[in-house]
Amino acid sequence: MSNVSNDYAMQLTNVAVAFSGKTAVRDVTFNVAKNKVTSLIGPSGSGKTTLLRALNRLHDLSAGAVVSGQILLEGTDVYGGAISVTELRTRIGMVFQKPNPFPAMSIYDNVVAGLRFNGIKKKSILDETLERSLRQAAIWDSVESRLHVSAGNLSGGEQQRLCIARALALEPDVLLMDEPTSALDPIATLHIEELMSSLKERVTIIIVTHNMQQAARISDDCAFLLMGDDSAGELIEFGPTQKIFNDPNDKRTIDYIAGRFG
Amino acid sequence: MMNTMQHDANGTTSTRDYIRQRADQLRARRLAVSKVMIILCGAALVLTAIPLVVLIEQLIVRGVSQISWGFFTQLPQSPTLSAPNAVGGVSNAVVGTLALALYASIMAIPVGVLTGVYLAESDSKFAEAMRIVAQTMAGAPSILMGLFAFSVFVKYMHLGFTALAGAFALAVLMLPVVTISTEIAVRNVPSTLREAGLALGVKPHKVSLRIVIPSALSGIVTGSLLAIARAVGETAPVLLVIGGGYINEWRPLNPVSALPLSIFMGAKSVWPAQRAQVWGIALVLVAFVFILSLTARLWAGRSAKGRK
Repeated sequence: MSNVSNDYAMQLTNVAVAFSGKTAVRDVTFNVAKNKVTSLIGPSGSGKTTLLRALNRLHDLSAGAVVSGQILLEGTDVYGGAISVTELRTRIGMVFQKPNPFPAMSIYDNVVAGLRFNGIKKKSILDETLERSLRQAAIWDSVESRLHVSAGNLSGGEQQRLCIARALALEPDVLLMDEPTSALDPIATLHIEELMSSLKERVTIIIVTHNMQQAARISDDCAFLLMGDDSAGELIEFGPTQKIFNDPNDKRTIDYIAGRFG
Repeated sequence: MMNTMQHDANGTTSTRDYIRQRADQLRARRLAVSKVMIILCGAALVLTAIPLVVLIEQLIVRGVSQISWGFFTQLPQSPTLSAPNAVGGVSNAVVGTLALALYASIMAIPVGVLTGVYLAESDSKFAEAMRIVAQTMAGAPSILMGLFAFSVFVKYMHLGFTALAGAFALAVLMLPVVTISTEIAVRNVPSTLREAGLALGVKPHKVSLRIVIPSALSGIVTGSLLAIARAVGETAPVLLVIGGGYINEWRPLNPVSALPLSIFMGAKSVWPAQRAQVWGIALVLVAFVFILSLTARLWAGRSAKGRK
């Protein structure tokens, strides 16, 4: 419990993830500042998504997955006994690469699913949460009149905003986003990016992205990961996005960023 | 690297000409072979279709004339020399078949669905063994289920011939169909939906129950309907255990009749009128199975569209 600070939403110390003994990502140490957007960048296979999924313990279900090191959520060890995995996940929301609304449910039911399945049934709370979350996800106006139609009828961009609303409904401290715009067109991508900058007032965002320009545009801090010699991902450099993109310390960061822009 | 490229560049012209020449030579032969194969395929299709078409034609030609209101509402009668055509109806078989289908469904569908969900969600050795059992059961001869139900219910438990024993035999037959189709339906639910549920802090069992199973519902319903359709047409399992009977009986612990059993009995009859009636019963049975299959198909199609 060293260096626990109230300025950080999450603190990662020597985090490593291995599947059946094979290391997928290791040596990751950085702090995620509150109410900032932190981006994880790096080529395919560098362990960005693997690292992200360790933060809300989504690896728990894969047999043979081992997460080591320390991950703190506001000072609490995520993998310690002090917080249950279900409580953890209500405090750390997640948005996935492909929009994944529940197809058998209406828009309304999708947004309040997290509350309902965690035992909150009171209609007034559900209604209030619904409107708040949909407004925060900037989709209230376009779905207000059709809250009870199937979520499958929305466009891809709308579905992704619905998924953001669904995550926000639980009022999480942290929102994990795993390439949230990679399945969307440029306009929908722009909307989601604008949304992120307004959302960070109330929630800390950690985003995995393949899109370097996106990382440069939206993130305050940036972690650059790269696949090592034994094909395990490693953290090469972490710092303010400005510094990573304009004046990185490591030669490999310079090469990667230059390669992508050149 | 450089070598191969040069070689290719030099060889291009002659190779291209050779390929085109050969293609011209072979074109006529290929067209002829293609024509012969198409004719063979067409002939195979006709051969396959003939028995089916003749069967349906016979069913309709011979069956429709047997169908009347009394056919469904009256009990069977025994023809006599003075009234050789007085065969009555088959209401007892209709009631018996509906009762058997209901009891068998009550036994097989819940167990089958839960087993299917378990198989889809578990990677354990036990689940793997259960899957092999289900697949083997799906291919087992149906008379075995009848023998099994006979030895358990009629012989060992001394219950006599009962609807329950017949329903049990049919349920054992339905079980693998329901289990396997449920497993497939649940496996086809994208894992991203499960992850979405887990990421909302929903407990794993609740994710299965409230998110995964509802998303797989159309497949589960389709599989269950097909299982019922299969069960109502089966003769062998019920032949040994339901006892038959000539009254409208539906109570589980009494002997009942069933449509396939009436066909079996009627076909052996010495009375031409009873043998003729068999076609009517067969038509009803086929229509019943057809409607169930059609419903299953429509249901599956409707939900597939809804998901997109």
